[in-house]
Amino acid sequence: MLEQIELRVKGLNFYYSGGIHALKQINLQIHSNQVTALIGPSGCGKTTLLRCFNRMHDLYPGNRYEGAIHFVKDDILSPDVDLISLRSRIGMVFQKPTPFPMSIFDNIAYGLKLKGTKKRADLSELVEKALHHAALWDEVKDKLNASAYDLSGGQQQRLVIARALAVKPEVLLFDEPTSALDPISTAKIEELMEKLKKEITIIIVTHNMQQAARISDRTGFMMLGELIEFDRTDKIFTAPSEKLTEDYVTGRFG
Amino acid sequence: MSIFDDELQQLKEKILKMGSMVEEAIKNSVQSLVERDNALAIKVIDGDRVVNTLDVEIDEESIRLIALRQPKAKDLRFITMAMKITTDLERMGDMAVNIAERALELNEEPLLKPYIDIPKMREIAQGMTRDALDSFVRKDKKLAMDVIMRDDEVDKLKHAVLHELAFFMVKDPTTVTRAMKISFVAQYLERIADHATNIAEMVIYLIDGKIIRHMALPHEN
Repeated sequence: MLEQIELRVKGLNFYYSGGIHALKQINLQIHSNQVTALIGPSGCGKTTLLRCFNRMHDLYPGNRYEGAIHFVKDDILSPDVDLISLRSRIGMVFQKPTPFPMSIFDNIAYGLKLKGTKKRADLSELVEKALHHAALWDEVKDKLNASAYDLSGGQQQRLVIARALAVKPEVLLFDEPTSALDPISTAKIEELMEKLKKEITIIIVTHNMQQAARISDRTGFMMLGELIEFDRTDKIFTAPSEKLTEDYVTGRFG
Repeated sequence: MSIFDDELQQLKEKILKMGSMVEEAIKNSVQSLVERDNALAIKVIDGDRVVNTLDVEIDEESIRLIALRQPKAKDLRFITMAMKITTDLERMGDMAVNIAERALELNEEPLLKPYIDIPKMREIAQGMTRDALDSFVRKDKKLAMDVIMRDDEVDKLKHAVLHELAFFMVKDPTTVTRAMKISFVAQYLERIADHATNIAEMVIYLIDGKIIRHMALPHEN
């Protein structure tokens, strides 16, 4: 199968408002319909890089990008980009589930309403579809009006994924999506990601190397703001090219 | 050193212990034939039990490490190769036993001819075994390649032995049983060299992460 490139990161540098040079000359290509994992020690810049893909850093003034991230025809980092539209095309799921303080149904309908869906019947259909998509429908179909807070952590995380999926993103960013979940919920989210990649492109930041090995097609290893190695996941975990990568994946770091 | 590093070191030492026992068995098996020493042949046959025990222990320990430590990169390559190397070593031990069994049989009969090429084959095959294990310990790619290249010499000697024995059999049919047994010995030694070559190929995988098995190397042309 011909592999397509969804995102091209070119010469990316990122500076936090305090002047910290957090990403240094990053070049990489994110393949469409694959799971790409970013791994590395704390503070290596993996979450900083993830947040560049939907311009989360713009929430704080003074942060500065250099370089480009090409997404289809556009440069994500261009000042003209409409951030609301960008974030619906490139959604994000955080470490801790972030349901809104409203019903399960409304959590998902919220984004749809913002995007202009008004009719109750249309909303119902799209909400159900999104919940199916996130493998949550069977567990919540009888209590759509219950508060999202009544769900377990793993269910909340799948609800958040359903909410992101409802607005039909092309890319989903996951920032340690299972680090607050038990192994069963983790397995469900991982299985979900593997299914979702048929339709969307996934980038995940994870501290759990086994998770990166299990679910990703490509893995990038980062350290001190640099991308040390980027390759097929099986290569990274069996025979990495860089000594630093080998030290990290074999747990002999520092 | 971490506990895991310590466990890997112990695994390596066990492989080396098994390797040196197999090497000793190869040497003794041919010596029991050449010097018509039945006691030594029996020692080789009995000693194989220890080799088999080590084979099982190394497999069990490797499986345990894979399950509990989830090894990656060079550790993963090391542990999976440990399991494969012991399979080869175990077979080499069996070959030495086969040689010792043939020695016991041949020692009961008059000497067909002085053994000249068989000790030479033994020397090369044993040297290949030792160097394959050395290259494993020292992560020495050059030495591993050298082992692979030496396989040819053993093959050539085997053909020379078989050719000579065929000549005996044609000339005097009463020699057939003995000549066949000696040709088996040559065959066993050639197989031992093949297993040493396998180990050397695994060492190269261990170092480079590249599987070179079944690739057309110069010695296979």
